[in-house]
Amino acid sequence: LYNVLGEGDRLQHAGEPQGCGITQFENGGKRIMPEPATEVEIPREWQEEFEAAARRPLAVRWNYGLVKTYKPVLDDAPYRSFESMEEYRQWCEANLPEWLGYGRV
Amino acid sequence: MAGFEYRQAEEIRNAFARHGVRYLFLGKSGALLLGYPDTTQDADLYLDRTPANGHAAVQALIELGFALNDKQVADIERCKDFVQLKNGPFDVDLVFAPDGIERFDDAWRRHVDVEGFPVCHPDDIINSKRAANRQKDRESLPRLEAFREYWLKQRAAEESP
Repeated sequence: LYNVLGEGDRLQHAGEPQGCGITQFENGGKRIMPEPATEVEIPREWQEEFEAAARRPLAVRWNYGLVKTYKPVLDDAPYRSFESMEEYRQWCEANLPEWLGYGRV
Repeated sequence: MAGFEYRQAEEIRNAFARHGVRYLFLGKSGALLLGYPDTTQDADLYLDRTPANGHAAVQALIELGFALNDKQVADIERCKDFVQLKNGPFDVDLVFAPDGIERFDDAWRRHVDVEGFPVCHPDDIINSKRAANRQKDRESLPRLEAFREYWLKQRAAEESP
C-alpha cells in the first residue's frame, strides 16, 4: 500500500478506485465518495515534508501555515454572506481574477 | 491586514467551547492542524446548522472581537450557507453547508481531536475540496491525498499495540 517514489516521480493511484463516484443528495447537493480501496504512492519529497511537519509542535505548524497575503477583490470587503454555496461559487467566478484559482474546473 | 496566530486559534477553540458552539475545522486550516504542511490565510469553520448554534457562534465571535452589525448577526443566526468575516482580529469563513459533506453529525462522528481542536477527518476535507472542484482545489488534491495516506498509516501505527 505504501510506496515511496523517487524525486521527479508523480503521485499515482495504483488501481482503479473502488466505490468512487458522485452521489446526489435529496437536497440537491453532491458528495463525491471517498476512495477506500485506492492505493496512493507518496513521492519521496512529500513524504519527507510530512515527516518534518510531524516533528514540529502544533503551534509552530499553525504559525508556519497561516500566511496572510492580499487577494484582490476577495480581501476588499470586511464581510460577505451567501444564501448558498452555489451562489458563492458563482460570485467568485464572476468577480475574482481567474488566476486566484476560485473558478470551477 | 490581520494575521492569524496560533494563540488566536486557541482563542477560537476556547471561546467556542465556552459558548457550546458545535463546529469543526475544515479545509486547509483543518489539514494544517492534522499535520499537513502547506499554507492558507484563513480558517474555515464548519458549523452545525441550527439557529441555537448560530446564536452561540455569534456570542463567541463578539467575545473574540468581531464587529458584527445586526444584519450580520441575523445572517449567522439563520445559518446562511457561507459567511465570510474579515471584520475581526483574524479572517474566518463560517460554512454551514460545505460542498461534499451531507450532514454535520456524520462529519462529527468521523472528526479528529487535535489538542482540543475539533477537526474534520481527512476524507471529509478531501471530499469537500473534490466537490468544490475549483482550480486551486484540483491543484492541491494530489498532495492532500498523499497526506491522507501518510496520516492514516501514522494513526494506525499509534493505535497498534
